[in-house]
Amino acid sequence: MTTTAPERVPTKAPHSLDALFSPRSVAVVGVTATPGTVPYDIFHNLLHAGFRGPVYPVAPGKRAISNVPAYRYLIDIDQPVDLAVIVFPADVVDRALEHCARKGVRAVVVISAGFREVGPEGQQREDRLKRLACAHGIALVGPNCLGVINTDPAVRLNASFARKMPHAGRIAFLSQSGALCTAVLDYAREKQIGFSKFVSFGNKAGVAESDLLEYLHHDEETDVILLYLEDLRDVRRLVAAAQRVTHEPPVKPILAIKAGRTPQGADAAASHTGSLAAEDDLCDAAFREAGILRVDSIDELFNTAILYAYQPLPAGDRLGIVTNAGGPGVMATDAAVREGLRVPRLAEETQANLRGVLPATAAVKNPVDVIGDARADRYEAALRQVLADPNVDQALVILTPQSMTDIEAIAQAVCRVHEAARDGRPAADLPRVAPKPVACSFMGATDVAEGIRVLQQAHIPHYILPEWACRAMAGVQAIRRMFEEPPDVARRLPVDDMAVRSVLDAAPAGYLAEHEALEVLEAYGLPVVPWRLCTTADEAVGWAEASGYPVTLRVVSRQVVHKSEIGAVALDLTTSEAVRVAFDALRDRVAAARPDAHIDGLLVRRMIPAGYELILGAKRDPIFGPVVMFGLGGIYVELFRDVVFALAPLGPRTARNMVRRAKAGRLVEGFRGGPRADIAGIEECLVRVGQLVSDFERLVELDINPLLASPAERGNAVADVRIRVA
Amino acid sequence: MPLHPKGEHLMDRSEVEQRVKKVVCRVLKVDEELVEPSSHFVFDLGAESTQSVELVAAFEEEFGIELEDDAALAVQTVGGAVDFIAKHLE
Repeated sequence: MTTTAPERVPTKAPHSLDALFSPRSVAVVGVTATPGTVPYDIFHNLLHAGFRGPVYPVAPGKRAISNVPAYRYLIDIDQPVDLAVIVFPADVVDRALEHCARKGVRAVVVISAGFREVGPEGQQREDRLKRLACAHGIALVGPNCLGVINTDPAVRLNASFARKMPHAGRIAFLSQSGALCTAVLDYAREKQIGFSKFVSFGNKAGVAESDLLEYLHHDEETDVILLYLEDLRDVRRLVAAAQRVTHEPPVKPILAIKAGRTPQGADAAASHTGSLAAEDDLCDAAFREAGILRVDSIDELFNTAILYAYQPLPAGDRLGIVTNAGGPGVMATDAAVREGLRVPRLAEETQANLRGVLPATAAVKNPVDVIGDARADRYEAALRQVLADPNVDQALVILTPQSMTDIEAIAQAVCRVHEAARDGRPAADLPRVAPKPVACSFMGATDVAEGIRVLQQAHIPHYILPEWACRAMAGVQAIRRMFEEPPDVARRLPVDDMAVRSVLDAAPAGYLAEHEALEVLEAYGLPVVPWRLCTTADEAVGWAEASGYPVTLRVVSRQVVHKSEIGAVALDLTTSEAVRVAFDALRDRVAAARPDAHIDGLLVRRMIPAGYELILGAKRDPIFGPVVMFGLGGIYVELFRDVVFALAPLGPRTARNMVRRAKAGRLVEGFRGGPRADIAGIEECLVRVGQLVSDFERLVELDINPLLASPAERGNAVADVRIRVA
Repeated sequence: MPLHPKGEHLMDRSEVEQRVKKVVCRVLKVDEELVEPSSHFVFDLGAESTQSVELVAAFEEEFGIELEDDAALAVQTVGGAVDFIAKHLE
């Protein structure tokens, strides 16, 4: 790794999951004598993967399994057992776990299915396992999982029903789906991808992804962690654990697939924030905060992981391309730019050197086209020059199989240059440079197969399509940026939380009255223009005279939520007479339209000048906790859906990134000659809303829509607010 | 020995138990001394899932009876099987 990555400090303290990954002895509980069944295969796999310690089969009624003496019960084993793998049917797993507790087993993997995934009865069974494991301090993996693999040559544990032990490698794979694991193992084997640890954690009744991340953070065999998740439960714990992995030495990237991206059942909430806060968006927000790089497919997961795991971290985003075909070179350039990489012109000196080693028809600027008849010598010379170029941080070698192309020899040439480049010296006669990653795309299938094999054996990442290579490189750039940016810290701003508490304590469940909502926002320092709740026209006129015109009037009643629909709002009142007339008219209109409504009074306040209409929202989500939303406001919020989310509380940098990510952010910067709004003020509003929703559990939904954003001299102002309390 | 209405002799509980045990030992291939009334077919005697079905079929054959599948498969212990069959024979 280059100096851009924070230092990787080897540390290894005893961990509660040591017994899971590096047990001294293993018992398989519930082994049967029938090959082809999960209980038999797990025992078989443990034996044949070459586990370094004793393996005990617990197989009631059997004398031996595969010539290994069997035990009727776990507690009959006269030696200590660190790890037990339970393969009994669901209804007796609890009894087996009780035996584990009596025996002092420290880690248990429950392979068996038939728990929470099958309904209430299964949930009860699972709860019982959870209680037992918790009471006895057992690290419980599963139930309903494939098992655990540790390829460390000192351990060689295959406590799973995956038939083949994967190759050893620097990638850890954690999956909630067991079936996916078998597919991934097969996929990885074909691509010569190795694993350090491989864990299927199933229903996560005990050990969850957060625990595994904590363990792998300090696992010396692991450089990168891949995660497949189906449901999120303790999001805040996951975020905290992931932040430590991605930001505290030894830092490691986490790449994750979170299945279930399609919007479903965003609860039929009345507020904009409630209806817009789809789980997938909140998941994005949580992963962003955690430093987890979210990807969409298994291909992308591994494409990025192997580039990070096998190659040095590039110092920047500049890509040099060497190709023997013009078309794929252009495609690669397009893809690189689309993914946010740069394809710079090579240095003059490099171009001159290339002209010396390539035919006159070759292109030497970048992409470097070595021409269709190029053989290994030309590729080697070109790649050395490109990697030595000061304008290049990484290289992509593209090959199409043409009649002159000696594919295997070119692959070997790439390996030679790569090895030299890894040491910072791609060519003996060129100056030393920082180590630079190399990736290849040998396009095709059968003709290029042998060349690909040579590359894979040398751990040079290979991608069938140059576009995939570019995407993987962009993924590594995202990792680099994530490493370089420390987690944002939410510092408390001074607020009057007692004032909010007194409003909320007096409020029934449901929407706060408008004046109450305004009091809450004022107490948290949000820009609320002066207002007063008046019960008589005289009072309203008096306030308006003292404060200045124009003013607005709004009827305040818990029963009247949509004010403008029944004419409960009057705008731009410029005289005392206008205020008086409007006051009586509004009151009468509401009394006629909603005779049941109790009118608290009429809210008179200074008219807010027009500005950019933004929405600032907050929601307390059952899984993600308090979250904040920002986007384009007004009545078309749901139509344009220009909203972004962050977990609350949030720090100033997160607020800044929220504004930048939304299209509304470009608008307030002054789009097409428009004035630039007080962006720092908007960001501060987001921090304050985050603090508010974090501080009060009863506050479940909040919409400021619109916040009217204006240039700093005029400032931003809350035009309308709705707050729902539980 | 009391006679069944159809003229066969009525089995007492201990005879049912002995015959159940014999079937269990044969089907699950376990030693007789392991088989107690409290023995759980899976946890104590290592029955595999397919053997549960075999056990029910063997009981039906041994006792010349027909058992309702779901109810029979729900029986988990040797003693439970004895009770279930004895009740059926009544």
